Amino acid sequence: MTTLFAALDGNVADLGKAIAFGVGVGLGAVGAGIGIGNIFGSMIQAVARQPELRGELTGIQWLGFALTEAVVFYALLGGLLAYVLV
Amino acid sequence: MSFALILAAAEDFQPQHEFELPAWVPIHLGPIDMSINKAVVYLWVGALVTIFLGIWIMRFGLSLRPSRRQTTGESLYELIQGQIAEGNLPSKAIGRWFPYVASLFLFIWILNLVGFVPLPISSEKFELFGLELPTWGIYAATANLSVTLGLALITFIATHVEGIRYNGAVRYFKSWIPAGVPKPLLGLIVPLEVISQFMRLISLSVRLFANMLAGHMLILVMIGLIFIFSSYAIAVIAIPVAVAVYIFEVAIVVTIQAFVFALLSAIYIGGAIEPEH
Repeated sequence: MTTLFAALDGNVADLGKAIAFGVGVGLGAVGAGIGIGNIFGSMIQAVARQPELRGELTGIQWLGFALTEAVVFYALLGGLLAYVLV
Repeated sequence: MSFALILAAAEDFQPQHEFELPAWVPIHLGPIDMSINKAVVYLWVGALVTIFLGIWIMRFGLSLRPSRRQTTGESLYELIQGQIAEGNLPSKAIGRWFPYVASLFLFIWILNLVGFVPLPISSEKFELFGLELPTWGIYAATANLSVTLGLALITFIATHVEGIRYNGAVRYFKSWIPAGVPKPLLGLIVPLEVISQFMRLISLSVRLFANMLAGHMLILVMIGLIFIFSSYAIAVIAIPVAVAVYIFEVAIVVTIQAFVFALLSAIYIGGAIEPEH
């Protein structure tokens, strides 16, 4: 927790790690955000064109959602690892 | 407020303690640490709730005019049968693997849900009228890599055992390589396919683990901000955000992650039994 306030002590190494962690996870979130938007957008289009397929598409939609969303967490884990180990 | 005060408050507040697992009953089998700790107790609670849910929903008082309890059970069954098992497991293996996939879904779902119910299972104590009581807190067993890796390993082993049993070892391992690959490329493709099999193990376990961990960490950090800045003004923003995250987790993430874990298990096992789909 104290690394949160590293800038106040002048501990630049910790500050750099904190910034890197934040930027890394943020960039990961950008990618997943685009992906998730794509999935739900396509789902809306598909259901609008063929409403009778909704039941079959729902399962696929959630699978795609979870697979895409997991990308953020790979970024988060990678960030945490770098934060702790470096 | 001076910065020294903030720092002192931050030293006092150690949110990472939520994820520490001190052994309550140390059990060591040679080099293997089988100690009973918080995560193990949460696993027991999850297993008990899952068993009693199954018995309570489906084991008595079934009738042609279903009660609400029976309707719940039937819709759960339909969800697992229709969305997870039917399209992905081949019909010759559905009788054998439907129970596994269904219990996987229910067990992970209950474990995730129990993780969001405050329970007095903790090694930290507080005093009330002279009585020492464990503090109430939320902790998810699935926010622990060992638990999810264990579940993913069962699927991983089942996949390959079933693949070899139904197809024979040679035909099964040949099916890993996509058809029509030119010979010179084999040296490149084969290692990639082998790695991708192991990547499944990692992605399956890390997805569930990181999702639950991130959800708990977000709530924790939001509440923790109040203590770090030791100011109630922060609470005006922090508590609504924490509540919103909590609702999002309980309403959506908990079910989706259990669903996806079971669905991917069904896809992997089904794909190994019938490689050419």
